[in-house]
Amino acid sequence: MDGGTALARVTQSGERSFTKEIQKLTLGKGEEFHGEGILAVTKALLQSGVAYVGGYPGAPMSHLIDVLAEASDEILEPMGITYEQSASEAGAAALLSASVHYPLRGAVTWKSVVGTNVASDALSNLASTGVKGGSLIILGDDYGEGSSIMQERTYTFAMKSSIPLMDPRYDMERMVDLTEHCFGISEASNMPIFLNMRIRACHLTGSFIAKDNKISEFNANNPIPEQIYDVTKIVLPPASYQHEVAKFEERLPAAAKYAQENNINEVFPGAGGRLGIITQGGTYTVVMRALQRLGAADAFGNSDIPVFCMNMVYPLITDEIVDFMKDKDSVLIVEEGNPNYIETQIAEIAHRKQINCRVHGKDMLPMAGEYVSNVVREGVAQYLAEEGPAEISNTALEKNTEIQAKTQTAQSYLPGPMPPRPPSFCTGCPERPIMSALKLLMKERGKFHISMDIGCNLFGSLPPFNVGNTVLGYGLSLASSGAIGPALDQPNVAIMGDGGFWHNGFTSGVVNTRWNKYDSVLVILDNGYAAATGQHKVPSTGATPRGMASLLSIEDALKGVGVKWIKQVDSYSMEATIKVLREAMNARGEGLRVVISNNECMLARQRREKPAKAAALKAGQRVAQEKFGVDEEVCSGDHSCMRLSGCPSLTLKQSADPLKETPVAHVDETCVACGNCGEVAHAAQLCPSFYKAEAIQNAGVFRHLGSAINRSLLAMMGAKQ
Amino acid sequence: MNEIKATSTIDRPICLLLGALGGQGGGVLIDWLVDAAMRAGYPAQATSTPGVAQRTGATTYYFELFPEKNPPAHPIFTFFPASGDLDLMIAMEPTEAGRAIERGFVTDCTTVITATERVYSTAEKVSAGDGRIDAGPVLEALEQATKQLIQLDVKALSAGTAARGNAIAFGAIVGTGILPLTAEDCRASITEKGVAVESNLAGFEIGLKTAKADTKTAPAKDGLTFNAAPESFASDIAAFPTSARDIIGHGIDRLIDYQNESYARLYLKRLGTVRDLDTGADKKLTGEVARHLARWMSYEDVIRVGQLKTRPGRLSHIRSELGVDAGVPLKVTDFFKPGRDEFLGALPKNLGWLVPNLGNGIALHIQTGSFTGYAMLKFLSALKPLRSKSAQYLEEQAAIEQWLDAVSKATMIDQAAAVDNNLAIRTANLAILARGYGQVRKTGLTKLNELFAEWSSKLTSDAASLSAEVDQMILLAHANPDEA
Repeated sequence: MDGGTALARVTQSGERSFTKEIQKLTLGKGEEFHGEGILAVTKALLQSGVAYVGGYPGAPMSHLIDVLAEASDEILEPMGITYEQSASEAGAAALLSASVHYPLRGAVTWKSVVGTNVASDALSNLASTGVKGGSLIILGDDYGEGSSIMQERTYTFAMKSSIPLMDPRYDMERMVDLTEHCFGISEASNMPIFLNMRIRACHLTGSFIAKDNKISEFNANNPIPEQIYDVTKIVLPPASYQHEVAKFEERLPAAAKYAQENNINEVFPGAGGRLGIITQGGTYTVVMRALQRLGAADAFGNSDIPVFCMNMVYPLITDEIVDFMKDKDSVLIVEEGNPNYIETQIAEIAHRKQINCRVHGKDMLPMAGEYVSNVVREGVAQYLAEEGPAEISNTALEKNTEIQAKTQTAQSYLPGPMPPRPPSFCTGCPERPIMSALKLLMKERGKFHISMDIGCNLFGSLPPFNVGNTVLGYGLSLASSGAIGPALDQPNVAIMGDGGFWHNGFTSGVVNTRWNKYDSVLVILDNGYAAATGQHKVPSTGATPRGMASLLSIEDALKGVGVKWIKQVDSYSMEATIKVLREAMNARGEGLRVVISNNECMLARQRREKPAKAAALKAGQRVAQEKFGVDEEVCSGDHSCMRLSGCPSLTLKQSADPLKETPVAHVDETCVACGNCGEVAHAAQLCPSFYKAEAIQNAGVFRHLGSAINRSLLAMMGAKQ
Repeated sequence: MNEIKATSTIDRPICLLLGALGGQGGGVLIDWLVDAAMRAGYPAQATSTPGVAQRTGATTYYFELFPEKNPPAHPIFTFFPASGDLDLMIAMEPTEAGRAIERGFVTDCTTVITATERVYSTAEKVSAGDGRIDAGPVLEALEQATKQLIQLDVKALSAGTAARGNAIAFGAIVGTGILPLTAEDCRASITEKGVAVESNLAGFEIGLKTAKADTKTAPAKDGLTFNAAPESFASDIAAFPTSARDIIGHGIDRLIDYQNESYARLYLKRLGTVRDLDTGADKKLTGEVARHLARWMSYEDVIRVGQLKTRPGRLSHIRSELGVDAGVPLKVTDFFKPGRDEFLGALPKNLGWLVPNLGNGIALHIQTGSFTGYAMLKFLSALKPLRSKSAQYLEEQAAIEQWLDAVSKATMIDQAAAVDNNLAIRTANLAILARGYGQVRKTGLTKLNELFAEWSSKLTSDAASLSAEVDQMILLAHANPDEA
């Protein structure tokens, strides 16, 4: 199977086509927008008059970048908006320097907390300097269920750099409104601002009434007449100390003042009384549902308990908190994430202002983990039960107990635990065979250490491959083998995707390894895209996200810094791949050895080839229809093939043969005929049960004739078809 | 500041959770629901966590609809399913419905619509034995735990159409009548979305009908098929316990196909010895040995592989899997990599010098659909008469005898302990180690040989630890060897 070429990819768009979405971004005043949360935020940017937008893709905010890339001609160019998919989050953050001196509004976006880590150098500098034009950083927060990253809070970044942090209430109308206010807060306080968007909020559907898009006064079509020089905007003494003072004496108070004047935070007084809940905007609906479930609120948020919903969670506004707490006996703070910064700040405010109000929070809610409905309901139930007047307390307890009992009863019927189902390589993925090859190589020469990278390749560390030892960050696999390499008896291997290579891997990894003369093996999985985020283009894809042809070569980059040992492999050829990997392992003492597997992401390929094939078939053109299969009778049923291949289409089937003790292997209809199962069976000398079947539809006359002769010859030997 | 004063008799939205695997069309289904709700004029909200693009992990979608048009205020919609107020749970796979119970979302107020066909997880596949979780008990649990269970046998329901599970599920959702959506609005949503409209509309109708009929469409269990022995063996088979006769008939048929009638008679003779020692009331030992013995005696060598790969009906079976008829040119490539041992095994011992050193084996891609490839495999299968002279044959027969001897000796221990063939049956089950090809087979046979070499002495000196050793070996043979 040959890999896709860079040229073939140039014409290919990303994972989804966004024509309908682009139309929504052009809606004018009074028209109704229906769509996803992250698209609503994108529309809010256009309504706010941004002059530039940038970012680095990653769930859950990739669509913002994808949609704008496709909207280039229709929306961005006429409005003079500069747009780029940056090479990394640090690059995206650095774009915000445009707003330091000039009245330009801009927005950048990435996945948090990982992207914020990468961007923090630029962010710290920017936060120190301060900004003139509204500077918004939209954070796609991947915290909780199904997240593929470490679980940390973005709040820490807000605190350490004194950047206001918005955590909006997820009512789409309000969310759009608050996004627009972000620019106001930023300009009022001369600080960049974070807008935190939870994963489920990015994907929520809803509607709002649109406004006209606003063109920035200065933009690419109407440049600023002259550049500005101001030494106080340079982070050097004495300005750096002045910046630090300004943050606390001027900027944060200005942010708080703007927020207070514009009702950014919201009090829902409910029925009054001496209880209260303080929540982040992002968990507001979860709190209201919990109250409803416990008999303390209706479906519209009319509550027995007053709720203070903070849409700006940093800085806290002391006056508002004092106002809310002063007539309460106790409050419950619903604060997702850890450490509980908000709770400790509120406790400090209560203490300093001598407010006699008990502060509950992480004593009733879990320290860590996503605040999903059930978790919040339990916490709120405990709060109402312990602090509430008899009527509220009893109802809450009774309802909560009833829900618990119902749940336990249902659970008691289950026969046992359900199978875990972590993500894995897709059917036909060109990265899977590399993991198979590494596993086989380990059987041959004993286990060796493998440093993994961020991206699909990381799934190699899960069953059935189990071949990854560490993962330290995007593009850092090679760098992370620096110290461990010399300490191990076998050479260590670093795996890196093309996304990781361009993000950070080239400089931190390859250059560092060359400079420090490390002995190491690097396997680059060049599948043409940052595939894990949804097929985003990378410098070696062949085109920019806006469709402009532009190709950087990984191999040239390696040669440019003097890497001599570079070999390309076709990962679908297992024996050849193992051979090259073996050579790389054995070439100890020859410095950095790089093995590049260059086969296109199978999802991208299928998305292009499947419709083409269907069309060809319809048009009566010759089409080869391919699939792998297993001869049930031959299959030995010990599933060695599955432990080496891990292909989703290679599955189990009950055999009708009573002599077979275990289920047999079976290739289901999702097979894309990449051939890995057959190759693995060869390389590991498994049972000869795999076959590849290839039917030629719309074959030519000669092919038909040959086939007919062949069939009669086979029939003479007893075959029926 | 923000006063909300509005009320309604409806105290909460209708909540729906969808559990799917990547690639099953969950996102499209949710889009249809959102669109249909909007068409009908009900406030609704959907969300999802499709964070990773990979197409194999479990993912969920969540949808809420407020069943009142133009309510007095914005209803509160949230993001997470919750225990005790989930009205509908849709699963595109039965253990995903089970997972929703496990996570506490599904209770007796939930109607569950689930596809019944299992999609096995990696964890289930990697076991060397049978690691599958049976859908049956999971569906039973759903039946007991929920308000109503609607089972969708997607394959059967969609037979003859291009309908997919997500469209069928959409129809079933509307068919339950839990959401105030009309079939008309839903059809319009499918048309508007513009994705495979025709087949999705067909699927929708199928689902609609299925939910309304509320018939149980539990999948038929895969049954075992026993082949019968020739009539000439009838009286021989009659001499065995009734419970073992089906499997013995099947074994005889297999061994005649594998070698010849006299080989099948050898099978009966060997089995007769075990039967005579089988004092168990259920005659389970005889049945177990009958199964293992027939499988072991028909061990796969290159001759057998040649035979199986040139079965008369094989090519037409492959055609039906691909869905192409006899007129379409077909190419079949068999992945076959015999090593030196495989060739040596097929030859008489004194001809071993004929086989060169093949290194790691010869990787053959045999074109079984072509004349030459087919003829080559046919030639291999024609070596059948020589099999009984081959080196592997002699080795395998010796190992079989050794195993049967161990089983026989174990029956005596069982009789002494009056435990109804407890050890003997487990010893019989050790035959699972005689499986696979090449290195896998060699390792298994070596393990058995090591155990049986000291069988007699261990039986008399320390039967208890021997028994534990047998258990351990069986356990490992069924486990995931990567974790052993």
